[in-house]
Amino acid sequence: MKTARPLLRQVGILVAVALFSITGLGAQGVQKLLEGSEEIRADIIPIDSMRVFGRLERPEVVFLHDKHTDAIEKQNKDCQACHQMENNRLVPKFKRLKDTDKQAVMDIYHTNCIGCHKETSATGKKAGPIETCGECHPKKNLLISSRQPISFDHSLHYRHAEANKDQRTNKGDCALCHHEYNEKTKKLFYAKEKEGSCRYCHKKTTEENRSSMKLASHDACIDCHRKKVAVKIESGPVKCMGCHDHEMQKKIEKIEVVPRMERKQPDFVLIRVKTPGPNKEGPSFRMNPAPFNHKAHETYNNTCIVCHHESLQSCVQCHTSEGAKEGKFIKLESAMHLKAKEQSCLGCHETNQRKPECAACHAFLAKDRRPESTTCQLCHMNPLSGVSKNIAQDERQIAEMLLNSRKTKVLTYNAEDIPEKVVIKALSEKYEAVELPHRKIIHTLLNNIKDSKLAGYYHSDQGTICQGCHHNSPVAKKPPNCGSCHGKPFDESNAFRPGLMGAFHQQCMGCHQVLKLVKPTSTGCTDCHKLKRV
Amino acid sequence: MSISRRKFIGWMSAAGLGATFGKSAHAAANKQFKGYPDSVGVLFDNVLCIGCRNCEAGCNKVNELPPPSQPFDDLSVLAKKRRTSSKAYTVVNRYENTHSKKSPIFRKIQCNHCLEPACASACFVRAFTKTKEGAVVYDASVCVGCRYCMIACPFEIPAYEYDEPLTPRIRKCTMCHPRVIEGKLPGCVEACPTESLTFGKRKDLINIARERIKKFPDRYVDHIYGEHEMGGTNWLYLSGAPYKEIGMREDLGTVPAPELTAGVLGAVPIVVGLWPVLLTGVYAMTKRKEQIAQKEKEQAVFHALQKADAAAQLKLSEALTKAQKEKEVAIQKEVKKALAEVQKVQKEEGS
Ligand code: SF4
Ligand code: SF4
Repeated sequence: MKTARPLLRQVGILVAVALFSITGLGAQGVQKLLEGSEEIRADIIPIDSMRVFGRLERPEVVFLHDKHTDAIEKQNKDCQACHQMENNRLVPKFKRLKDTDKQAVMDIYHTNCIGCHKETSATGKKAGPIETCGECHPKKNLLISSRQPISFDHSLHYRHAEANKDQRTNKGDCALCHHEYNEKTKKLFYAKEKEGSCRYCHKKTTEENRSSMKLASHDACIDCHRKKVAVKIESGPVKCMGCHDHEMQKKIEKIEVVPRMERKQPDFVLIRVKTPGPNKEGPSFRMNPAPFNHKAHETYNNTCIVCHHESLQSCVQCHTSEGAKEGKFIKLESAMHLKAKEQSCLGCHETNQRKPECAACHAFLAKDRRPESTTCQLCHMNPLSGVSKNIAQDERQIAEMLLNSRKTKVLTYNAEDIPEKVVIKALSEKYEAVELPHRKIIHTLLNNIKDSKLAGYYHSDQGTICQGCHHNSPVAKKPPNCGSCHGKPFDESNAFRPGLMGAFHQQCMGCHQVLKLVKPTSTGCTDCHKLKRV
Repeated sequence: MSISRRKFIGWMSAAGLGATFGKSAHAAANKQFKGYPDSVGVLFDNVLCIGCRNCEAGCNKVNELPPPSQPFDDLSVLAKKRRTSSKAYTVVNRYENTHSKKSPIFRKIQCNHCLEPACASACFVRAFTKTKEGAVVYDASVCVGCRYCMIACPFEIPAYEYDEPLTPRIRKCTMCHPRVIEGKLPGCVEACPTESLTFGKRKDLINIARERIKKFPDRYVDHIYGEHEMGGTNWLYLSGAPYKEIGMREDLGTVPAPELTAGVLGAVPIVVGLWPVLLTGVYAMTKRKEQIAQKEKEQAVFHALQKADAAAQLKLSEALTKAQKEKEVAIQKEVKKALAEVQKVQKEEGS
């Protein structure tokens, strides 16, 4: 077998050469992909109207709405060149009121689109495709839609209310947009102080007698804007880009301090589980209720729907203590504590903790952790502390009193009790010991949250802020050093606990990253560590 | 150096007997090897990695590799996408983070130490061994230099000493197998300041990785790379960005390489052009051959005991020897054919 090796080598090399040349072919396909040009726009409307009659025979049409609106304007025509009117409103469908039958709808598109393109190009102007099908029905869409949904926030709501004020009475005309549906008379009517978000009724898709949100908003908003523009009153956008283009959205005027929307909503609420039975001597509670500052929270959020996701009723209406059908059997407890849900108290507070000024400490806390039981009482306050039994029958009053009794200032130990510097020399084999500006770090953390009421309330105990680094040990003026828990890495009996060096680097660098601190910019060791002189 | 006769025949028999062998091979191969129970590995968590290249330096030191062209504290090399080489068993590359420009993602590359290594399955002289500790190690003394392992490895890891004129070897990470046996940490793990590299039993690493995902769902992609890829690897990964964004293959599937080639063997008629594919199956086949031989033996004992009949035993052993002879004849025929084929190629090349 002496000859085997050179022989085998020969085979090996031959085969290897063959293989490499085969794999080399793949590159050409990639090049082709890169060649296709792509345009990003916010006014792309895919026309797939034929879908209601079954499978599409050709790929859907990629229609650029604003491009057409502009062209028609230049020809001194308006929306009615393409859209018909019904009940004094534009119908979003093209040149028809209803989808009658397949052939008819197809003809409407083909005759009118191609007809107009022909007419236009006859006048020597640039126009859309006339002959080749694939130009309107492209196999591969090279356009990318940048359409952004638009949020009707408090500022926009206020501006609409102001713009539609009756000049004489100086009162807003809410009925212009807000309505309810009367099942019997099958008519829309305005119910005062029952106004809510459009989305409560207008859902994603059109149902029986309520149009989809998309349809309803385009129908109502554009129609109103259009009519105003027609009589030369300043108004909102009528083109796609005006509402749905990211850049245009940024240009929409924003009112900084929006006056409160009045709808007889409470200022303060006591969130609590109802106690059955009579209570003669003032209110009694099954457990400590949580006072809630409704008025303040209105200003923290941009819309009502953030919390009131299904209707503008109070939470307990649907989320009862045991769960009810209206609330999808989500109990009051879950509705307030589910961290994964934006609408819950904890969910929203948790999101707030992702802000850089909080994340320096909070980013290190596991998402699935249980809050410590001592923190429960921060929300669930003893309702009768400081409240004389006979004056406070009114829950809202109790809530207000409790809220006013809260301290919302971040506190910590006296400066002289906080070590100014901590020298870490545990790992100084190659590098000099590190001097940690301990007191300065604490002051930076405190300074970052000093203006936050939320942070203030939850950090009003002296030791709380220390827990950001000195985690997993009891609150104390002199907490144990890092080395008391962190030691040798990869300890099998303590698999989830990093070793000392890992702990230092993860904690320090993690925090620097969150706070976007300049130092250390790069990750070279000598940015923080001085090399030991040998 | 000489290739043992049995191994060589194993390789050749793949070429000749594949078609008859295929069915049982396929049947035998649909059980997946789940790894040695207490094998160790490393979990690389790129959320913690800061791209300091200390691991590269650590690897260089313990493996006594030549000094790099740019020193390890020169982080400008991160801008280029590097591959492992015969002089650097591990490299760290930087990738843009599509979600946050300011915090790039670093990816450390080295051999993944597959549970069922493709490199080993491609190597017909069995230069690669999957140790019970988890590392895939290489024995240069049996290597014939065909470099099939380089072609077979889906992660493009093994590197060849092209600049070594006399005794070129394949080079790759060994998970510091000798150190691990001594109870030491792999060089890179020991050097990492942030514990981005966690060393431990593979099964513990998977638990640790799961726990991290559970605790910080916003931070990690919900997938442990290497848990199932290519049948599983002893090097595992956690990532803050989709794996394909950091150049890691997501098209590998969960079937180990030897099993893939076994399927091909069973299904495709044998022509000389298919050799490379075939060769990748040899590792699996030699392994399977042993399994089958074992099975046959067990069956024989079982029957013999049941019947306790000397005649039957005789008949059985006769039948077995006959079968064995037939097999051998066929093998020899194929060996001759293949060798002739090679020589023909050589001659054609020479002329
Ligand atoms: S990664 Fe490549 S070289 Fe390493 S064991 Fe797997 S197949 Fe072999
Ligand atoms: S030593 Fe650790 S942190 Fe540094 S580059 Fe290597 S894996 Fe990343």
